[in-house]
Amino acid sequence: MELAFAGWSGILILLMYGVIMLGVGIVTYWKNRNVHESLDEYYLGGRGLGVMVLFFTFFATQYSGNTVIGYPPTAYRMGYEYLVSVPYFILIIMVYLMFAPRMYLMGKKYKLLTPVDWIEKRFKSKPVSILAAILMLYALGNYLLEQFVAIGQGVAGLTGGTIPYQVGVVFFIVIMLIYGWLGGMRSVAYTDTMQGIALLFGVFMLLIGSIIYFGGLPNAADYMQAYSPEKLGVPDGPGAVNWFSLLVLVGIGAAVYPHAIQRIFSAKSEKTLKKSFTQMAWMPFLTAGVVFIVGIIGIAAFPDLSTAESEKLVGMLASAIANQHVIFYWAMVLLFGGVIAAIVSTADSVLLTFSSIVSNDLYGRYVNPKASENKKILVGKLVGVAAVVLLVIIAWFPPATLYQIFVLKFELLIQVAPAIILGLYWNRLHPKAVFTGMLVGTVLASFMTFANITPLGIFSGLWGLLINLLICVIGSMFMSVSVAEKEEADQVVGM
Amino acid sequence: MSKPKKEPIKNGKLWIIFGILFVLINPWYFPEGSYQPLVWGIPYWALIIIGASLLLSVFISYVIKYQWQLEEEEEEKKEAK
Repeated sequence: MELAFAGWSGILILLMYGVIMLGVGIVTYWKNRNVHESLDEYYLGGRGLGVMVLFFTFFATQYSGNTVIGYPPTAYRMGYEYLVSVPYFILIIMVYLMFAPRMYLMGKKYKLLTPVDWIEKRFKSKPVSILAAILMLYALGNYLLEQFVAIGQGVAGLTGGTIPYQVGVVFFIVIMLIYGWLGGMRSVAYTDTMQGIALLFGVFMLLIGSIIYFGGLPNAADYMQAYSPEKLGVPDGPGAVNWFSLLVLVGIGAAVYPHAIQRIFSAKSEKTLKKSFTQMAWMPFLTAGVVFIVGIIGIAAFPDLSTAESEKLVGMLASAIANQHVIFYWAMVLLFGGVIAAIVSTADSVLLTFSSIVSNDLYGRYVNPKASENKKILVGKLVGVAAVVLLVIIAWFPPATLYQIFVLKFELLIQVAPAIILGLYWNRLHPKAVFTGMLVGTVLASFMTFANITPLGIFSGLWGLLINLLICVIGSMFMSVSVAEKEEADQVVGM
Repeated sequence: MSKPKKEPIKNGKLWIIFGILFVLINPWYFPEGSYQPLVWGIPYWALIIIGASLLLSVFISYVIKYQWQLEEEEEEKKEAK
């Protein structure tokens, strides 16, 4: 990506962001020196996040730099069919309403730290917990990789290649590791807040600039009417099925993100959680909606781009806008700095959750249950660093487009949804049925993804989920749960 | 005075409305490929989808505010002490 405003101003902004993030980490550490003595303090910010910080940290888990850089090109290629990106972000909140109210209560009652903690509490089954942990770690690792690739491309673009891809990745990862290491969840949530504000501001300036200099939607519609009416039209059969699949896959998948569930546990109170969710229900219009419009404007502004070229659409628009006026120049520098910061903030949330699952669910539960909390945290951090190093090596050879990797992680993550959500309400749900369902769903979804089989145009992850659910429900009906087990489950889920 | 506890999942009526809204945010009920009339350059069907999405957000906000009441009061009492 070549940006007209790239160069020293980009480097300046990036350094500034880096310093602020480090500052946040150090101040948080100063104020909470005991943070490394307790898993609760380190991974959940002492379960005391207030409305604004909680809102922005949810915001950062759902919207990342990828939303800004990757969505407009998709809208550019698909046209109005990609409007689906607005309702699917709303649907995430609807899916939360299915389980978050009770999940918050369970988190408080049993001092749950991770989603795997909940699964262990509910099913008391080593195979189920370990399989769920592996699926989550895999999905989180994949997600983290996606962020690293994006950081590198963003930095190289913003500095006009002055800072090469690899240096950009390493610089921000080191900063992220330091502040995450120092302050845990609090650092992560506070930097999320700063990064969310920068991103929102930048995206709006991009929209305003695009409308002023390239004409708004009417202009784009004229162009599409003349050259590509299919981008304006109602999606055809396969397009509508794709729409439906995306809604369900993202709606459920993003709601059961392990780092999203952990944020439910971090809420200070039910009231705080409710307020944050209400705000989140409206954000899709201000974020996904805005970047969607930017992509549509791009159709008329830069016609006939190939798929690879269109991936650079936001950079092209921003460059053109930055050349028009000094205010837009700095707004675009801020936007790209904000994009990179947003990617870092998504990556840090994911990494923290990754470490917490290792600390608490694998090391703390099975390897060395007697370890002190301090030691558990240390092990989680070290494994986290090792995973980051491994992923950076993979990120050195970035895959082609971001969108394909994005769908892949949901295919597997979504397979833990029955255990988490159904387990909250149905006391007969049998651990063996849950395990079999999760395993078969995962194998089926992976096989279908790699073999590229999508019957009826529905994504493979959803087929996996369907089989998974059927096995869970039918299996549980046939397998008898002993009276004692049923009573125990009743006690766990009962309120 | 204590308000009754409310949990969205236990209220079937809410999920019927969510079901209807879900059906409305899928573009299956328009003729394929049509886009006229355009309003401010936006195809009519996209406006309807956006309208349905807005309704979904409104309804979610309503459910959160009035149909989700599990712990709040106890937490507030604790805070008051």
